[in-house]
Amino acid sequence: MSERKTIIQIEHLSKSFGDLKAVDDLSFNVKEGELFAFLGVNGAGKSTTISIMCGQQTKDSGKVFIGGKDLDESTEGIKRELGVVFQNSVLDKALSVRDNLRYRAALYGITGAVFEKRLAELAELLDFADLMKRTVGKLSGGQRRRIDIARALLHSPEILILDEPTTGLDPQTRKLLWGAVSRLRKEQNMTVFLTTHYMEEAADADYVIILDSGRIVAEGTPLQLKNKYTGDFITLYGATEDEARLLGTSPEKIPGAYRIEVEDTAHATELIIKHPEIFRDYEITKGKMDDIFLAATGKRLTGGENGERA
Amino acid sequence: MKELKALIKRDTKLFFKDKGMFFTSLITPVILLVLYATFLANIYKDSFTGAIPAALPADDALIDGCVGGQLFSSLLAVCCVTVAFCSNMLMVQDKVNGSRNDLTITPVKSWTLAMGYYLSTLIATLLICYAAMGVCFIYIGIIGWYITAADVLFIMLDIFLLSLFGTALSSIINLFLSTQGQISAVGTVVSAGYGFICGAYMPISQFSEGLQKVLSFLPGTYGTSLLRNHALRGVFEEMGNEGFPAEVVEAIKDSIDCNLYFFDDKVEIGTMYVILGVTVVVLIGVYVVINGLKKER
Repeated sequence: MSERKTIIQIEHLSKSFGDLKAVDDLSFNVKEGELFAFLGVNGAGKSTTISIMCGQQTKDSGKVFIGGKDLDESTEGIKRELGVVFQNSVLDKALSVRDNLRYRAALYGITGAVFEKRLAELAELLDFADLMKRTVGKLSGGQRRRIDIARALLHSPEILILDEPTTGLDPQTRKLLWGAVSRLRKEQNMTVFLTTHYMEEAADADYVIILDSGRIVAEGTPLQLKNKYTGDFITLYGATEDEARLLGTSPEKIPGAYRIEVEDTAHATELIIKHPEIFRDYEITKGKMDDIFLAATGKRLTGGENGERA
Repeated sequence: MKELKALIKRDTKLFFKDKGMFFTSLITPVILLVLYATFLANIYKDSFTGAIPAALPADDALIDGCVGGQLFSSLLAVCCVTVAFCSNMLMVQDKVNGSRNDLTITPVKSWTLAMGYYLSTLIATLLICYAAMGVCFIYIGIIGWYITAADVLFIMLDIFLLSLFGTALSSIINLFLSTQGQISAVGTVVSAGYGFICGAYMPISQFSEGLQKVLSFLPGTYGTSLLRNHALRGVFEEMGNEGFPAEVVEAIKDSIDCNLYFFDDKVEIGTMYVILGVTVVVLIGVYVVINGLKKER
């Protein structure tokens, strides 16, 4: 398989607000077609980085290249490559879905029959054909989120930036959104740049960066991060506490089972061979993204709120 | 051009759909109407009747036309600025609710966005003010019509210029606002205060001399005077026809700000147009320059 080309290249990016270093010498690359997860507690520098990439804030130093274009020289060109779904819906609540999308599309030069065609495609992809005449302010959270995503996709961007897109959504809508995103990635090779508080969403990413105080504290594929920052976990079902303790570690009691952290899969295998009588019903799993985040930052990522020092 | 057209449509539609913004913009003219309907009209009528020498003939229609013209010009002078301020609050609301970010991530240039707000505000202001003008003409027609077709055209021009002025002024001020509290504060101050400083609630001639001098530096004052001159020109002409001495007519003009003085020099109507026109050009220029420079740091 050929090496995917780099579509976002950030080099030594820095941005301060007074004495506060919001982004501190940040460098990373995003490959074309990748689902890229950008994690960090509020104030870690995620939104500032995104604002700089979108040309909404100036940077103090560093370089940003998107789709091969230098942000310093081609801000407008870069804006055509990006579709952004903001944390909160930013559509006009007093206008209908159709009007919202029509006026936003015109800002990219998309009008008339071209707009109608694109609107029909997006309505089919995100299942909102029946909402066209509804006022955005009267839509449910999930419905509104679908329109937000449609708005971001109006101009068929190369890169879709999702800034905590599923916060507060019901599981069904989250599933619908991720289905649409998967389809876009598969059919159009769209690059997705994601910030999220839902760790299971980050677990599906191709590459993850964890930010803390404007700096990268961990990066890699989810597997690399799991191997580096967490061990494996053995979940023993139907075992007694004494049996769990025989494995030589402090077992954690969970409903109907004990959870034991081991160094790696090889160590788990050794334990199975050594104590086969205990392993009547069990699971061996990798560490979770929450564990990685905690190990890398010393903080827990809590849904939408500031991270807490663990 | 497509982009600008879409922005103007969006902004105008939002203003008329936002009942809060729309009705707030009408508060000042409504206050003025209530003041006139309850007591101001009678006070003006009594003061006119008292000021005119008993020997001079002055029928009720002429007096009513004079009072009505004052109401008409005051109402429109205030409307052009307060409606512009309220309509232009969309610019701040877009910042408050985040819509501004959604507009600035598009490839649209900042001056296009700025002109979108400016032109949509101007359109909304003109629509409301010309509608108000129509209502005022009906009222004047009922109580005493002394207006010619040329006066109507000049009044329309005055409304246009004052709306350009109000829109440009509000555009500059609103550029520096970013919270709901600031919107409310500025809206209240403008709605309550502008009527006084432009001479709409009370003629400037009735203020102290020092205050008159200060107000003579404000371009809006000349806008009010232009409207008043054109709304009352026919009334004054009729007074002359009915034998009012020129000195009496001039005294009335002085008392209701048809004649304005910059220190001791009378400001001619042509000069008032120049002042208002130059102010509009300067304000629009300042707006475009600030908007270009004001990139978020």
